[in-house]
Amino acid sequence: MAADPKGRIAVVDDEANIRETVGFALRREGYAVEAFADGADAWERFERELPDLLVLDILMPRMDGLELCRRVRTRSESLPLIFLTSRDDEFDRVLGLELGADDYLCKPFSMRELLARVKVLFRRVALLESRAETSEASSLRVAGLVLDLDRYSASWNGDTVPLTVTEFQVLCALVRRPGHVKTREQLMQAGYPHDAFVSERTIDSHIKRIRRKFGDVDPEFAGIETVHGLGYRYRSGTDSA
Amino acid sequence: MSRGAARLAGIRLRLLAFNALLVFLPVAGVLFLDTYEQQLLADQERSMVEQGRVLAAALSGRGALEEADLERTLLELRQRTGARIRVVDGSGRALADTSLLGPRREPEAEAPGPQRQGWLYRVAALPFRLYREWLGPPQASHGSADVYTSGRPVLGSEVRAALAGRYGAATRISSGGQRSVTLYSALPVVDAGRVIGAVLVSQSTYRILQALYRVRVDVLRVFLASLAAAMVLSLLVSHTIARPLVALRNQAEALLDRGRLRGRFEIPGRRDEIGDLARSLEVLRGRLEEHIRGIESFASDVSHEFKNPLASIRTATELLAEVEAPDERKRFAALVAREVARMERLLSTVREMSRLDAGLPADDRGAVDLRELCEGVAEAQRLRGVVVELSGAPSLPVVTSPERIVRVLENLMDNAAGFSPAGATVEVELAREDGCARIRVLDRGPGIPEAHASRIFERFFSYRPAGPDESVHSGLGLAIARALAEGEGGTLAGWNRDGGGACLQLSLPLARGA
Repeated sequence: MAADPKGRIAVVDDEANIRETVGFALRREGYAVEAFADGADAWERFERELPDLLVLDILMPRMDGLELCRRVRTRSESLPLIFLTSRDDEFDRVLGLELGADDYLCKPFSMRELLARVKVLFRRVALLESRAETSEASSLRVAGLVLDLDRYSASWNGDTVPLTVTEFQVLCALVRRPGHVKTREQLMQAGYPHDAFVSERTIDSHIKRIRRKFGDVDPEFAGIETVHGLGYRYRSGTDSA
Repeated sequence: MSRGAARLAGIRLRLLAFNALLVFLPVAGVLFLDTYEQQLLADQERSMVEQGRVLAAALSGRGALEEADLERTLLELRQRTGARIRVVDGSGRALADTSLLGPRREPEAEAPGPQRQGWLYRVAALPFRLYREWLGPPQASHGSADVYTSGRPVLGSEVRAALAGRYGAATRISSGGQRSVTLYSALPVVDAGRVIGAVLVSQSTYRILQALYRVRVDVLRVFLASLAAAMVLSLLVSHTIARPLVALRNQAEALLDRGRLRGRFEIPGRRDEIGDLARSLEVLRGRLEEHIRGIESFASDVSHEFKNPLASIRTATELLAEVEAPDERKRFAALVAREVARMERLLSTVREMSRLDAGLPADDRGAVDLRELCEGVAEAQRLRGVVVELSGAPSLPVVTSPERIVRVLENLMDNAAGFSPAGATVEVELAREDGCARIRVLDRGPGIPEAHASRIFERFFSYRPAGPDESVHSGLGLAIARALAEGEGGTLAGWNRDGGGACLQLSLPLARGA
C-alpha cells in the first residue's frame, strides 16, 4: 500500500485482467487497491476490515456481487459501492434490488469513467463527514427540489433523496434547464460523460429509478415528464404546484 | 376477415351443395307418380266397365226399357259410384242419366277449374311436362267431349258399337280445355237376342289427376321445406367448422406480432379434430418459442461473454495511451493480446455451439464400443501430458454416433484435466448399470461449488480457481457435452466425490442384447 493513500479501494472481479487494469489505474491515481477474485475471498478480508470504497462485479463464482453487497451493508450503511455489470438484465436486477449501490457501470466501461465516479464518491463521503456549509452557489433549486452539486446529494421539500452518481448527473442535466426537453442521448452524455456504449434503455431505467426514489419521499412527485419520442424534461418551477 | 370469409366460402359452398343434392332425392319420387297415374287410370277404366257390365246384365232380358224403372235403378246405383251412367235406347236417345237425377251427394265435375293449378304447381311440374312431351310415349289423340252436348242423341262411336252388340270404349278430352280426359265405356242391353239400348258409363280422370296433383304439391312443399332446412343446417355446420378455423387463423396472425411470438393457440371446449389441430398448433408454438428463447439467451450469453474481454481491452488501451514506462506498456499490450486471443477462442466455440443445432453428422450412428472410444480419447490426452487411468468394464457396446460421443469424452477429460493440479491423474471408470453404459470422469480438483452445482452445465458458466490460464476456458465445454449427450439419448450429471474433486458421469443406453 502507498505511504499516504487517498483511500483504500477493494476491487472484486473474477476477471484477472480487469483486476489488473483497474487496480493499476486506481493505484496510479494514488489509491491503495486490494483485488479479490470472488466474493468469498473478499468477505474473508472485509470481516476484518472494510475498505473505503468497493468496486464489485456481479457474476462471480462462490459468492456473487449481490450477496457480498448485502453482507457489506450489514456492516456499513454508507460504504461507497460501485457495481460493474455486463448484462442488461443484470443491470435491471441490481436496480430492482435496492441494494444501496452508489453507482453502476456497464462493461465494457471506460477507465476514465470509473475514475471519475470513484472521485465523486470519495468527495461525497468527505463532504458528508465534514458537515461543511453548503455554498448556495453550488446548488440548484427548482421549487421543492434542491441539488447539492458538491455533495452530489438531492433533497425534495427538505427530505434527502438517496441518488446514485449517475442518477444525480442525469437529474442535474434535466434540472439545469427546467421545461426544456433533454433527449436520451443528451442524458447519456450527462450520466456517462466518458462512455459511448450505454444503451438508451439504461437512461429509461435510471429515470424510472429517480421517479421511484422521489415517489418514496413524496408520492405526489411528478417533476420528471416523459416527452414521447423525444426524451424527458423537468417541470419548470411555475408549473409544479 | 374478408380473406378468411372468401377462403372458407369453399367449405360452406361444398356443404351446401352436398346437402341440397340429398334433398333433391325425394323429388325423384315424383317421377314414380307417373307410373302410379297409369295404374290408377287402368283401375278406373276397369271399374267403369265392371259397373256398365253389371247394369247392362241387369237391364237385359227385362223387355222394353222403362224410363221410370231406369231412373229408380240409376238412383240406387248413383249412391255407390262416382261415375256418370247413362242409358240410351236403340236410337241413341238418352232414357236416364245419373247426373240429371236431382240433387247429388256431391256434384260430379268432369273438368277441374282452371284456377286449381296454381303457379307453384305449374313451375314445379314444368320439368315433368317437358319430360312427358319430349320423352314420354306418344299418346292417342282424343276426340272432343263436345260429342255429348245436351239435347243431341248420345251417339258416340262407343255407343254405336254397343248398339251394334259390341263393347265400345272412347277417351275424350274433358270439356273446359283441361288436361283431364273422360273415359267412356258403352255396353249393349240385350232383350231376346236383340239390342234394345246401351249403358254408357263415363268418368273424368279429373279426380285421379287432382289427387296426384295434391301429392305433387305436397312433395314440392316437403322439398322446399327440406331445402330450406338443408341450407340452414349447412350454414350452421359450416359455421361451426369455419368459425374456429377463422379463430385459429387470426390467432396465427396475431402470434407473429412484429416478429415476436405473442399469445397462444386455443379453441376452448373443442374436443374434435379442430380442437386437436389447435392443440397441435399450440405444442408447435411452444416448441418454437422454446427454440427462439434458446437462441435469444444464447445471443445474450455470447454478448455477455464478450463484454469481459472487451472491458479488459478497453481499460488496457486507455492505460496504454497514458502510461509511459516501457515495462507497463509491454504488460498492457500483452494483456490486450491475451484478451484478443480469448475472444477468438470464444468466437470459434460459439461457432461450434451454433453448429450443434445444425448437427454433427448424425448418420454415422452405429455399433461402437465405448471402451475403445475412451481409450482413444485418453491416449490423445496422454500425448498432451495428462495422466489418464482407465478402469472397469472391458467393453461397453452402444449404438451411437462415435464422433459426437468422442467430443463428449474429450470435453469431460479436458474439463477434468483443466481442474486437476498439474501432474494429477484423471480417472475414467466404465461400468454397466441398469441397461446403461456409465462412464465416470473423476478429478482431484477443487470440486463443484455447492451453490453452483446446478449451473455447471450452463453455457458460459465457468468457475475455476484463479490462474494464469483462466482465459483458456470458454465455459462452453460442459454445455456442449451435455447437449451432445442428450442428443444421443444419454444424460450427463456431475457431483463432488469423496476426498475432494469432481465426478462427471455420462450415461448412454447399452446396445440391445449387450
